[in-house]
Amino acid sequence: MDLDANRRLIATALARIPSGDRTALQTVYRLTSAKLFGVCLRILGERSEAEDVLQEVYVTVWRRAADFDESRASPMTWLIAIARNRSIDRLRASRQNRNMDPIDDAADVPDSAAGADSALERVQADAGLYRCLNELASHERAALRGAFFDGNTYEDLAARMKVPLGTMKSWIRRALIKLKVCLEQR
Amino acid sequence: MTDTFDHSGLPEDELLAAEYALGVLTGSDRLAVEQRASRDNGFARLIADWEQRLAPWGTEFSEVTPSPQVWERIAGALPATQAQTTGLWQNLNFWRGFGFAAGAFAAACLAALIYMGTLTRQPLVATIEGGGHRHFVVTVDAGRGTIAVVPAAFSPDATRVPELWLIPSDGKPRPVGLLRGDQPVTLAISPDLAALAKKDAVLAVSLEPPGGSITGQPTGPVIASGKLTSL
Repeated sequence: MDLDANRRLIATALARIPSGDRTALQTVYRLTSAKLFGVCLRILGERSEAEDVLQEVYVTVWRRAADFDESRASPMTWLIAIARNRSIDRLRASRQNRNMDPIDDAADVPDSAAGADSALERVQADAGLYRCLNELASHERAALRGAFFDGNTYEDLAARMKVPLGTMKSWIRRALIKLKVCLEQR
Repeated sequence: MTDTFDHSGLPEDELLAAEYALGVLTGSDRLAVEQRASRDNGFARLIADWEQRLAPWGTEFSEVTPSPQVWERIAGALPATQAQTTGLWQNLNFWRGFGFAAGAFAAACLAALIYMGTLTRQPLVATIEGGGHRHFVVTVDAGRGTIAVVPAAFSPDATRVPELWLIPSDGKPRPVGLLRGDQPVTLAISPDLAALAKKDAVLAVSLEPPGGSITGQPTGPVIASGKLTSL
């Protein structure tokens, strides 16, 4: 399986980084930088800022590779989380560039993993998270997506969806709880 | 506070972890979560679990190739390798200016020096001790350009890694490489570093962040040291 082979390559290279192996970091970069740059660019919206953050991401990977535990997370999940977190940190520091377009949840379409890279990923994704997302109300799903993909805060989302802050907080918290319950039912 | 419940039915900690993983917190709240996760493994685990739950969404990020300069900047931000910090590297660069012939001549001289080194140098050993324990046993083969380090009673630190330093008579630590507490390692050293690994030079071990010190000097505590002696 291609995906498995790739995952193996990334995990093996990550495991070599803590001993100070620079070529291992370069291997990880070669295999993952297009994806992680896509993450930074989506959240930050601006190429040069996204490249700055991408650099921070791989320096973080270099320093923290020893924390990666393959039994807990897939290497891509771990790397994407670092890229999202560093991008969101940058967004919070600048408070610019973030997507504040109004969200019209009436135009919401059911979630599907149509953008997934491979058929296998689509199947895996559809089985869990996407199935459970589609059990949420459309406004809950829209709020979660705004946070995940646009790096919006509660305040941002309340403004984008034109509801009071307290309402947005309870939408999201309730949605997170429903999501967890649904994912555990499998 | 894992036992206090929000109106909605998840422990407050778990909600906080979920909010962090989702990305909805403000800057100061994110910082507080990250600081707590760095010292509370259980809490860090809650975050990792939520990252895993949301992971399928990661497939929706499209791939975009960054410009080639990004890797160069990353490589520049990593700890300097020995080759870049030693005089040899500067000399090689200097020689390169004279073209290939001069470079080849230099390489031949270097090879001759290393060969002569193997004839004249005996292996040196050191026991690296600190706090009443023998932590590592080191054998330096300057001729071959290798340093073998065997852990004795070294207990690894969860967050830091042991890094070996060579401190010659000038008293300035030179980075040698990262060690492991659970298995022997053999580190290759540059001819310049090998030339400094003489009798009575000191080897020291400091605790550094994963990946090693990025400054080229020890940044963490020196936990053990020992002098090189001939066999």
